[in-house]
Amino acid sequence: MPNYPDLIYLDFAATTPLDPDVALCMQRVQSQAYFNPSSNHIGGRRSASVVQNAAEKLAALLNTDPASFVWTSGATEANNLAIVGAAKQREHRGRHLVTMRTEHKAVVDVFRHLEKQGFEVTWLQPEPDGRLPVDRFEAALRDDTQLASIMHINNETGTVQDIAKLGAICKDRGVLFHVDAAQSAGKVLVDLADLPVDLLSLTAHKFYGPKGIGALYVKTGTPLLAMMFGGGQQRRLRPGTLAVDLIAGLGEAARIAAVRHEDDFKRLSAQKSQLLAGIRDIDGLHVNGALDDAYPGILNVGVEDIEGESLLLALEPLCVATGSACNSQSQEPSYVLRALGRSDWQAQSAIRFSFGRTTSTDDVERAITIYRNAVEKLRNLAPERVA
Amino acid sequence: MSADPYNQKVRAYFADTAHCGDVEDGAVGYFEDQGMRVRLSAEVEDGRITRLAFRAWACPHVIAAAESVCREFEGRPVAELEQFASAQIMQDLAVPVEKTGRILVLEDSVRSLGHAIRDRLSTKQD
Repeated sequence: MPNYPDLIYLDFAATTPLDPDVALCMQRVQSQAYFNPSSNHIGGRRSASVVQNAAEKLAALLNTDPASFVWTSGATEANNLAIVGAAKQREHRGRHLVTMRTEHKAVVDVFRHLEKQGFEVTWLQPEPDGRLPVDRFEAALRDDTQLASIMHINNETGTVQDIAKLGAICKDRGVLFHVDAAQSAGKVLVDLADLPVDLLSLTAHKFYGPKGIGALYVKTGTPLLAMMFGGGQQRRLRPGTLAVDLIAGLGEAARIAAVRHEDDFKRLSAQKSQLLAGIRDIDGLHVNGALDDAYPGILNVGVEDIEGESLLLALEPLCVATGSACNSQSQEPSYVLRALGRSDWQAQSAIRFSFGRTTSTDDVERAITIYRNAVEKLRNLAPERVA
Repeated sequence: MSADPYNQKVRAYFADTAHCGDVEDGAVGYFEDQGMRVRLSAEVEDGRITRLAFRAWACPHVIAAAESVCREFEGRPVAELEQFASAQIMQDLAVPVEKTGRILVLEDSVRSLGHAIRDRLSTKQD
């Protein structure tokens, strides 16, 4: 994988580098199977077989049927298709939907869009550690609830939701259950033969695959309305010529993830512990989100009375995300951390460290030193408050 | 896509805040507004600023601007402090327009330092 000695990349929750084996696989497909998989000739059949092979690899990772995927441009499109497609399909039965305040923008904004169209959305508040109590979720479901959407792993804090229990409740109540698994697919065990999930979104670039390709798992028999029109591909749910090389890359990334994810999980756990041990004695430091049973690839910390924008600059050459990120273009404090009860000032000093396959123990050690020095520098710079 | 929000000068001043600190027993200008706080302190001899120091809880542009002010005004007549205007610094440091209010807080701190020095000098003369 590419190595840039001038920076220390700890932003794997934003994206991951392309695995070299994935790149090789895609190059082969680009030169040998560049055909349109819908074409009715030997070349088309070759490309269609590449797509089928990728679906089988992804199905093996998630323990499900290869025919249950709709290829999309990424998790954002998959979330849109799942939420709007399911809500619209069932709106004659009811217009009540359930989700959480701490969902990714790619879910939040879709529900906001549906609210403007007359749907009623219940926005569930998590506990201060980011977890959603099962009884709170169950209490929010009504007779007219059609869809609930809860993310598996939170992208800012790494907090894991109990999707098995939430999904079981939905199944009992006849509510469709969608899971945004952008941060979990390919990283932790997601067994769709066991989990009561109807719809699940994922994207390749979060697990060392290419950008621009994702998938929506649609459990057999789950009704969805298409949002795009223009061809018969993918059961008319998502028409358009398939990006064969990207799909092949997603499939190969899934194959590698299936082999590696247990080892990756152990290594990430050790690195998260190493980082936390190296900074937790800093005066005023707090962890955002749950620590127990959380995803080990993400650690989100804040520190009292530090200006966030200056902290981010002082942390260079560390590549990390701030409390205003997820959509880092904005300087607004993170709505996720605000929902966990953090003040604007606490949220703006938050830093998300996220680790991955290429993170070394030395990277973490350097990150500890840089973070400590940055906090010390900014505290030295700050004047005493004058009453 | 995100372009680098900081120009070379901002990066250089932020990295080397040589004037961070306090001038002991010096005149002080302090302002707190716009979610930030700036403190300037100075030593004056014969109507000239001999030492200038700052502390700031602020974004990189304001920290860089405060360092720039200290470098610029050391050795210059006190009277110039009160004429300080932020427009040149805004331009030199390519401060985004949405941060104008923050730079004005620095401007207020500089002017308040000028007043504090003048008050001290007049007290001594009395």
